[in-house]
Amino acid sequence: MNTNNLFIIHTGTVIEDDTLTLEQLCTSCGVQADWLVRLVEESIIEPDGAEMPSWRFSGASLARVRAAFNLERDLGVNLAGIALALDLMEELERLRRQLKISRHG
Amino acid sequence: MTYKDYYQIMGLARDATQDDIKRAYRKLARKYHPDVSKEADAEAQFKALGEAYEVLKDVEKRAAYDQLGANWQAGQDFKPPPHWDEGFEFGGAAGSGDSAHFSDFFSQIFGQGGFRSDDARSNRPEQGQDSHAKIYIDLEDSFQGATRAISLSTPTSNAQGQVQLKHRSLNVKIPKGIKPGQHIKLAGQGHAGFGNGPAGDLILAVEFNPHPLYRLVEAHIYLDLPISPWEAALGAKIKVPTPDGLVDLKVPPNSKQGGKLRLPGRGIPGKPPGDFFVVLQVVLPPALTDAEKAAYQHLQQAFDFNPRQTMGV
Repeated sequence: MNTNNLFIIHTGTVIEDDTLTLEQLCTSCGVQADWLVRLVEESIIEPDGAEMPSWRFSGASLARVRAAFNLERDLGVNLAGIALALDLMEELERLRRQLKISRHG
Repeated sequence: MTYKDYYQIMGLARDATQDDIKRAYRKLARKYHPDVSKEADAEAQFKALGEAYEVLKDVEKRAAYDQLGANWQAGQDFKPPPHWDEGFEFGGAAGSGDSAHFSDFFSQIFGQGGFRSDDARSNRPEQGQDSHAKIYIDLEDSFQGATRAISLSTPTSNAQGQVQLKHRSLNVKIPKGIKPGQHIKLAGQGHAGFGNGPAGDLILAVEFNPHPLYRLVEAHIYLDLPISPWEAALGAKIKVPTPDGLVDLKVPPNSKQGGKLRLPGRGIPGKPPGDFFVVLQVVLPPALTDAEKAAYQHLQQAFDFNPRQTMGV
């Protein structure tokens, strides 16, 4: 490895501030476009834009797609199950935040 | 290299049936799945489970593993006995999932002998895949912006198609105002491309270390502030720590236990910035000396106060 690398400071972008096209989301998550289309049909991710060519996904979709992919691969969950699991996990996360706000001392 | 007890990892006896193995895997996978579980070492547990299942679900691999004998202890220094694998043929392609993340123990036994083959790729230039990692930062890093060194281990395959972990370290600029759950993308720092194709991106999921004083909820910061009963009742000006330094806070008279005071714009910076919330915690001083007891008695006489009024008693 080049020792110069130790001194390089990498500056990135915050994904959540960006929107992604279908193609970018595929590349980022390492999944096929038709699988993403099925996620959209199941309302697991919801793009802006009416027609497929104009679809834009929020940066937050990335984490959702990755979680969906892992659930299918590791646990064999189907799409309806994934949608349910992700919604419940989101609810759990919301309750955890609530707990964190009201936690005493 | 240390011995791994795959039966112990899956909580199974050595004579478990293939059905037992499958059921145990399903149950434990749900428990330790990193996307679902909040257990601290869920990721490590899940990887160990995946490795154990990879071997035990496959009758050929399981038989080869059993051949090593039952007398090894987990964590014991392990050298395979000579010719232990004679007569075993590992058919099939590389295992599903991330066998690249499996232990040295696994690759010593199953990683050679050609059961893991190179991906047959065309020579067409192809962009490398994105890689994903987690990065833990402090609240102050997001407040001021910072540079953090992170170390990554990337599985790569060598010329023989064996998988090795390559370690590297990167200095990453933490953008000011980053919030928990957000991701930083570093273009071109992911997996190498194929046939002169560009490298993928590196995507870092940002998590915050717990802070001794502050709790972070989205862009808002919460601080529990202990106050005395007379400060709560009479009002007070109190110095309060914030990540930006001390701030004079006016506690209004007749403040309540658990009451929240908002300092707008003093949360995580951004457009718009988060807020800073002070959560009042009224602390009762104990009555120990005669003077202190007398003071509580004065309170008792001065007030016509029944905290249990709504209970009708």
